[in-house]
Amino acid sequence: MKALYIASSGMSAQERNVEVISNNIANMRTTGFKRQRAEFQDLLYQAYRRSGSTTSDQGTIVPAGIEIGSGVKTAATPRIMTQGAVSPTEKELDIAIRGDGYFAVQMPDGRTGYTRDGSFERDDTGLLVTVDGYQVEPGITIPSGATNVSISADGIVEAYVGTAAAPTQLGQLQISRFVNRAGLESAGENLFVETASSGAPQNATPNQDGAGSLLQGYLEMSNVNAVTEIADLIAAQRAYEMNARVISGADQMLQATSQLR
Amino acid sequence: MENAQLISLSRQVALQRQMDVVANNLANINTTGFKAEKMLFQQYLMPVAADRDFAYPDQKLHYVEDWATIHDMGNGAITQTGNPLDVALNGNGFLTVQTPAGERYTRSGSLQLDNTGTLVDLDGNPVLADGGPVQFDPTDTDINISANGTITTNNGAKGRLQVVEFANPEELTREGNNLYAGGTPEPAVATRVMQGAIERSNVSGVAEMTEMIRIQRAYESLANSMKSQDELRRSAIQKLGELSA
Repeated sequence: MKALYIASSGMSAQERNVEVISNNIANMRTTGFKRQRAEFQDLLYQAYRRSGSTTSDQGTIVPAGIEIGSGVKTAATPRIMTQGAVSPTEKELDIAIRGDGYFAVQMPDGRTGYTRDGSFERDDTGLLVTVDGYQVEPGITIPSGATNVSISADGIVEAYVGTAAAPTQLGQLQISRFVNRAGLESAGENLFVETASSGAPQNATPNQDGAGSLLQGYLEMSNVNAVTEIADLIAAQRAYEMNARVISGADQMLQATSQLR
Repeated sequence: MENAQLISLSRQVALQRQMDVVANNLANINTTGFKAEKMLFQQYLMPVAADRDFAYPDQKLHYVEDWATIHDMGNGAITQTGNPLDVALNGNGFLTVQTPAGERYTRSGSLQLDNTGTLVDLDGNPVLADGGPVQFDPTDTDINISANGTITTNNGAKGRLQVVEFANPEELTREGNNLYAGGTPEPAVATRVMQGAIERSNVSGVAEMTEMIRIQRAYESLANSMKSQDELRRSAIQKLGELSA
């Protein structure tokens, strides 16, 4: 009886589903977090009686055969890359991206990470870094004594240095775009790294050719919707329970068989 | 007397398969675009087991045979996701995907892009539009899919999704991975494409649980009847074997 194994595949799929949902809820207040969704696929079918096979020498055929499935598998957990709400923070080094694109960040292992989390800080040399102290690419140094740092929608960073009457341009922030954003690998710490399926990053100037624009003094919230997640959680939990009931039902059928005499 | 047991056995085998179908439906209760399966039975008359020489001729024996599994093609609930690459099909149509084994059809509209910007399904098979696979550039934003399946971005039209319908969807065979094969596809006329939504599985938890309880009880009552047939036979052997001199 395959029902036992089919239902166990259903239970493990729903377990995975609950894991994804709980991670979404845990990251509800994480800056720039993009929610994930567990996607399932049915497994192979076993044909006991194949549709289209001949049933008589008059040429009649089986209109619909017997196909029995083998359960379910988790196919993917793609990220839903919709824009999160931007919320004002009034901090001059908080930057939200409105639209497509990622900030490139130099990770300690030498790789380049990509993030939507624009809550930047200055390190002891004045370099623009993430909250973990990783350098934002391209490197922009804000000299000591600089006041009124302003970041334009297309990424130009300006500040008043010393007693100068006009602002000094300190550099221009770039953003990276990917053909397949959902193919980025999550590296934790709000960072993503490129993979073969995301494609190579393409540098872009913010606010040009469809790239996202920058918004100083704002942060992008996560795009997790609490109501949807809780509704999904309830559905996943009930599906888990139903699959568990199938296992006990199949078990009782086997028990009836084993107690035949 | 053995016939009674064989008939019970035929029903038990069929019930086990039906239990497998119910288990597969429930395992896929959260699978996007999954269609429930239902099992059909027929009675199978066993002509050879009848003997017509008696004054009261034997009744023909009615065995049960699992005859077919049919696809329940009713629409599943359509849920909003807000993801521009999610499409739900409102109607009886299917999306066409190009797999290594040929064209396959799916109701699962959870689409992705691959590293070259091609529109693919969850396994990386290209989704077909009227002019072959759909290709996006990195500069494409504001992907819009209209009700008739036309895909447009800020850079213009990208093609129209090849949505097909089947006069008889029961001809389709299931391939796993949410794919269907076979049938004679015709261009869809009554199917509307909804962007930013997916179609949930159309499995009804309540109906499947009720079905499962029914199967389980039927199986148990058969097991009981087989048990009593077994006892009947045992006592017959004992009684008939007694030597009463």
